Parts: sequence; C-alpha cells; structure tokens
Amino acid sequence: MRFFLTHEILSPQLLDSPAAGGFATFEGKVRNHADGQAVEALEYEVFAEMALVQGEAILNEAISKFELEDARATHRVGRVCIGESAVIVQTAAAHRREAFEACEWIMDQIKWRVPIWKKENYAGRPSEWVSGGESSRPAEFEELYDRHIRLPEIGKEGQLKLQNARVLLVGVGGLAAGSLPALVGSGIGTIGLVDPDTVEGSNLHRQTLFAQSDIGRLKVERASALAKRLRHSIQCHPFPEVLTETNAFQIVENFDWVVDGTDSLDTKFLLNRVCRSLRKNLVTASVHRFEGQILTITPDGPCLECMFPDPPPNHCVGTCADLGVLGVVPYFLGSCQAVEVIQGILGSATLTESLALVDLRSLQIDRIQRTRSRLCRLCNQIDEAQPEQWEVSSPDEMPHAALVDIRDLSETPCLALPHKRIPMSGCYDRKWDQPTIFICASGVRSYRLVADLRSSGFSEVYSLRGGMQSLISRHG
Amino acid sequence: MITIRIRYFAVLRDRRGLQEEHYHTQCSTVEQLVNELIAKYRLGLPSALIRVAINSEFVEPNVQLEDGMEIVLIPPVAGG
Ligand SMILES: [Zn+2]
Repeated sequence: MRFFLTHEILSPQLLDSPAAGGFATFEGKVRNHADGQAVEALEYEVFAEMALVQGEAILNEAISKFELEDARATHRVGRVCIGESAVIVQTAAAHRREAFEACEWIMDQIKWRVPIWKKENYAGRPSEWVSGGESSRPAEFEELYDRHIRLPEIGKEGQLKLQNARVLLVGVGGLAAGSLPALVGSGIGTIGLVDPDTVEGSNLHRQTLFAQSDIGRLKVERASALAKRLRHSIQCHPFPEVLTETNAFQIVENFDWVVDGTDSLDTKFLLNRVCRSLRKNLVTASVHRFEGQILTITPDGPCLECMFPDPPPNHCVGTCADLGVLGVVPYFLGSCQAVEVIQGILGSATLTESLALVDLRSLQIDRIQRTRSRLCRLCNQIDEAQPEQWEVSSPDEMPHAALVDIRDLSETPCLALPHKRIPMSGCYDRKWDQPTIFICASGVRSYRLVADLRSSGFSEVYSLRGGMQSLISRHG
Repeated sequence: MITIRIRYFAVLRDRRGLQEEHYHTQCSTVEQLVNELIAKYRLGLPSALIRVAINSEFVEPNVQLEDGMEIVLIPPVAGG
C-alpha cells in the first residue's frame, strides 16, 4: 500500500530508499482564507473504496513514469483545522528533478482523479462544498483578463464564455506550440490534450512547449504541466493515446471546439467525420515547409470532405519528418487556430466558409471560398437519406445491369467480371438509359458520378458501395 | 492555344520546382489541364487530390479554361 486515508493528524513519513538521492515532500495545508473569505476549518468527504484504488494506481503510475524508488501519499478525511496538512505526497528518486516533478504530477492527479470533496467552513456564513480543483478568485479574474475585458468585442461576458469553453487539442506538437499557450493565456477554462508520443530532440525546433530536459517524457503530460503553470485554475485533461475510430467519439463528446494539430491526414479526416456527426466545431491546420493551410468547420458549414471527397491516403504528400519545416511555421498557423477558436466562442470564426493558404516566405495569405458540396457523402448523409438507394453493395443485386469501371486507365487491378472501362470524365457526355453500375477504387468517385448523372435526369444509374476494394475483400 | 497563369502550393510546388508559371496549352477544361500537368511534371497525385481554385473559389473539373485565367492548384497538406 502506498496511498492512505486517515482521520489522524498528518506528518511526513521516513522513506527508506538507499538507491535514492532526491527526496521531495509536498504538504497541502488548510489556509485561513479562500475567495476573500475567512476560513475556520475544512471538512473532507471521500468515496473511500474508489479513492484507495485510484490513489494506489496514481502512485504506481508515477513510479514507472518517473522511475521513482518510492512514492507515498496520505489524504486526511473529516474535519481539518487551519495549519494542519490535508495531504502529504512524498517521492524518492535517483535525482531531484524526477522527485520534484513526480510530486507535482501526483498532486495534480489526486485532485483530478480521486473522489474527495471539501467543505469550507467560513467564519460567520454557511459552509459550502467545493470541488477539488482550485478556481480563480473574482478579483484575480478581473486582473488577469483586464485587457480582454476592455475590448468591446469581448467584455466581461465574452471572457466568461471563454472561461466556460471546453477545447480539445488533438496532436500536441508544432501547431499546439502556437495554439496552447494562446488559448490558456486567453482564459479558456478546460483543455483536453490528445497525443500518444514522447518528446524527441528533433521536435524541439518547432515544438516550443517542450524543453531539452523533457526529451523522453510524454507530450500531453509536459504540456499539461505547462498549462497549469500558466494558469492554476485551468482544468487540463491529458489523453496519452492515439485518436482512433474507437475512442474518438468518447473523447470529442466532452468538448465544444476541437483543434486539429496532427500531422496525419487519416486523423484529420477522422476528426472531420466525428465532429460532423457530434456537431462539434473543428479548426484544422497543416504545414508544409514554409507554408500552411487552415480552415474552420462548423456543424452546418462546408467540411473537409466537401473539399476532398476522396479522403487522401495518409502518406501521399509527406510530413514534417520527411520534408522538413521551418520551425516557426506551425507556431504561426497554431496561433491562427487559437484566434479562430476564440472568435468562434465569442460569436463567429472567420474561416468557416474559406480556406486560408499561408506562405510565410512571402507573407502572402490567399483565401479560397469553400461551399458545401452536394457530392459530399458526410454532408449529404446528414441532409437526406435517399442517396442510400443510389448504391448497391454487390453487382449480384442487379444481375441485368451493365458494369462500368470509371477509374483512370492506369489504375489496377482489373475488374474480373465482364465490364466496360470508361474513365470518369468520359461518362458525362453519354446517355445512360439502361441499368448501369459504376465502379471505382473505393466507391467515392462512382458515387459522385451517380449523383451528377441523377441530377441530369438519369434514374437507372448506381454506384458500387466500397468499389473495387469491396469486390476484392469479398472474393479474396 | 491559350496561356494560363498557374500557381502551385505545398507538395505541388516542390514537385513542379517552381511557385508559379505562365503555361501554354491546348486543353479546354480544368480536368484536362490537371491531367496534362500530372503527366508532364510527374506531380505524383491523382487528379481527385488536386483541387483547383479560380478567382478565389474552388471550381469543378468540367469548368472551361479561358486565355489569361489564373488558376491555383491545392493539394492536401499533412504536416503538423
Ligand atoms: Zn462535407
């Protein structure tokens, strides 16, 4: 056992670790004031079974994460008087840095994960239960955000909107170096961070959230520590995992705005689908050497698939790792993402119907208008159910229909069934009065073609759902 | 024969080796031009992944080219 709950007065224990050279002890004591009110005592209430399991898990995680020799924590329950310790965390490590950092990490985790509530007994006023997380006092709030509150576009009301907003950053790297400090500084109240990676030396020229001494540590953990240092009151939720089809909905659900800072096209299109279906706002950006792209996707505006209806394969255009990037470029684009989120929370973002192409070599920014595409599967699935009937899942469903392969002539493998091969662009000038099933690689182009042809009045045209891929997986 | 001003972005700029050019062509539609450029300069992306903008708006592949037009070629960008 490493985590304890007790009604007794706390004092630090002796940690016996001959292999350790750095010992850190943190004591959280009851102070005589909170929010400008005099406090007489605190009372802690705990859900003991869960608290013990969570506490034990936190200490074991800390030991492996920071390579500690030992770690202990004890939390008081019941009434605790001014000057007494409510919690004591102790760590022992080979060196002082791990011991200090583990101590802070353990404290943050206890506040966030262990079900303990405190009741403040004020002098001369009814007592109140407050949650574990510290919140800023009203006077502090007005001082911190004074220059925001002076802006007529923000004011106190706008600043409260920012405080109540929940923003999720997916990918904590170069783009997040621009967006995270800007969002935290602007007073966003709750931030989630998703990234499975640890800090590498080659990240540091652009990922200025991290120091050289962070190499090898989890990015989400170092970034939350930074966010907490910038603003004690921030609620930070680190997710040290890859965003996948399986966890994406569960994670994104808890936030209002999503900031895409990943370097993966797959993740960008996954976020587009998830945000569309949960009706969340998404600000997506990408960088390439000296330039970048940024756009904002709102629940009713044009989406990423309106622009690229055939989601591109992940490695078709390379990443920073392959191609190199000027370190300040993602920082710049990340700052622009923060501006979009802040403006979006306050009213409306700028790039909801356009794409900005930013070239930092020339400082030229081009804006290209985007519109919602009638051919976008995502937007149209939501709008109308009917196009389902334009698709067949197998040629067997319509044995009398002709098959037409609309891929470019260079695309392989060949279709094994009897068919005609007419590349997509050649299909528009013909008449399609007989039942016809169009086939492409994945079912996206054929769907677009069928949508076009049906809007030109041909009603006997169909698209093979999943395209060649589905035929190959079905027939081996 | 018409002359078009073409601007390349991101990976297309790298693969073409320049940022913009005046280009002479017999092509009459955006789609034909994009396919011609893909073949001629080995741009390494299928036409479906190259979006074309004219006058700051995305256009569909069947749009007709006119002499003196400026077109912008935009590929997906992945880096973060
Ligand atoms: Zn769409």
